[in-house]
Amino acid sequence: MIFEILQAVLLLGIVVSGLLAVKSSDLLRAVIFLAAMSMLLSAQFYLLQAPDVAIAEAAVGAGLSTAIFVIAISKTERWENGKKH
Amino acid sequence: MEKSIKISVLVLLCAFLLMAGMLMHNEDMPDSTPMDDYFIENGQVQTGSNNIVAAIVFDYRGLDTLGEASVLFGAATGVLIALGVKKSG
Amino acid sequence: MSPIVKNVAVVLVIPITMFGLYIILHGHLTPGGGFPGGAIMASLVVLFFVAFGKEWAKKINKGILFFGESFGLALFGLLAFLGLGTSFFHNFLANSDSLFGMSIPFGANSGFLWSGGIIPLMNIAVGLEVFAALSIIAVVMFLENGKVMFSEKENNVGGKK
Repeated sequence: MIFEILQAVLLLGIVVSGLLAVKSSDLLRAVIFLAAMSMLLSAQFYLLQAPDVAIAEAAVGAGLSTAIFVIAISKTERWENGKKH
Repeated sequence: MEKSIKISVLVLLCAFLLMAGMLMHNEDMPDSTPMDDYFIENGQVQTGSNNIVAAIVFDYRGLDTLGEASVLFGAATGVLIALGVKKSG
Repeated sequence: MSPIVKNVAVVLVIPITMFGLYIILHGHLTPGGGFPGGAIMASLVVLFFVAFGKEWAKKINKGILFFGESFGLALFGLLAFLGLGTSFFHNFLANSDSLFGMSIPFGANSGFLWSGGIIPLMNIAVGLEVFAALSIIAVVMFLENGKVMFSEKENNVGGKK
């Protein structure tokens, strides 16, 4: 029972952080929400007994892609639609 | 008005996909196929690797991993060609 | 960055490198393998970008990284072709009592590092390739000047040049 509750909480967190990443107009905040979604997805993979996928997701999704997104944002603009310069 | 139509279409699509997925496959354990049983019974002894996932990824299905590595190689080479050359002036 | 970040980045070199090498070398015993291990070691390079900035990133030789990437992929393909006596990707080193050739029994056991045949060698090759490829992407994107393409396009649209 505790397993199902934990899985439900993790799935809810994945959906909520994904929605926040889409709706946020601060691109840096969107990237951090994307990293949080990736980390929760990694925990979900680990609970579903796929530790290989969990390690790859945590290393690539939460580590490297976040860094590359932040580098790309630092080269362009932080705010969507050019507001709040 | 237009937004509510879009949202309702999205909700209907999600409900259809969920129902189709539940009808296509029971939400119990996945079906066991002869290929799975072969890998589980013989993979450890044949390849000498305790991690069956590594045995499948690098040995039985090594061609897929070769394709994946080639894709990454092509991506890095493309980035190096497109952005790595210094522009004059 | 501040001296605290710089010092912590220097201190973290050995733990992150050891963890990445552990993930790569134990790929045939524990979850992991070449791809996550190479990504972990490439994240160390990105951490150094954050700490030391562009002056450090300009010192990286991209030729060596490109050589490592090509060498990893070539080693992977060569190991695949070496088993061609039986079939493509045949594990010709497993259970042969030579390089990585120790046999293991069936069932749950802790395993040996000196087993697995060509799987550990392929893990090392893929780890090298992934580390070099992701480092190249990060270095090139970090050293790129911002808004170069956009300003060129705007100038062409305006027709003032």
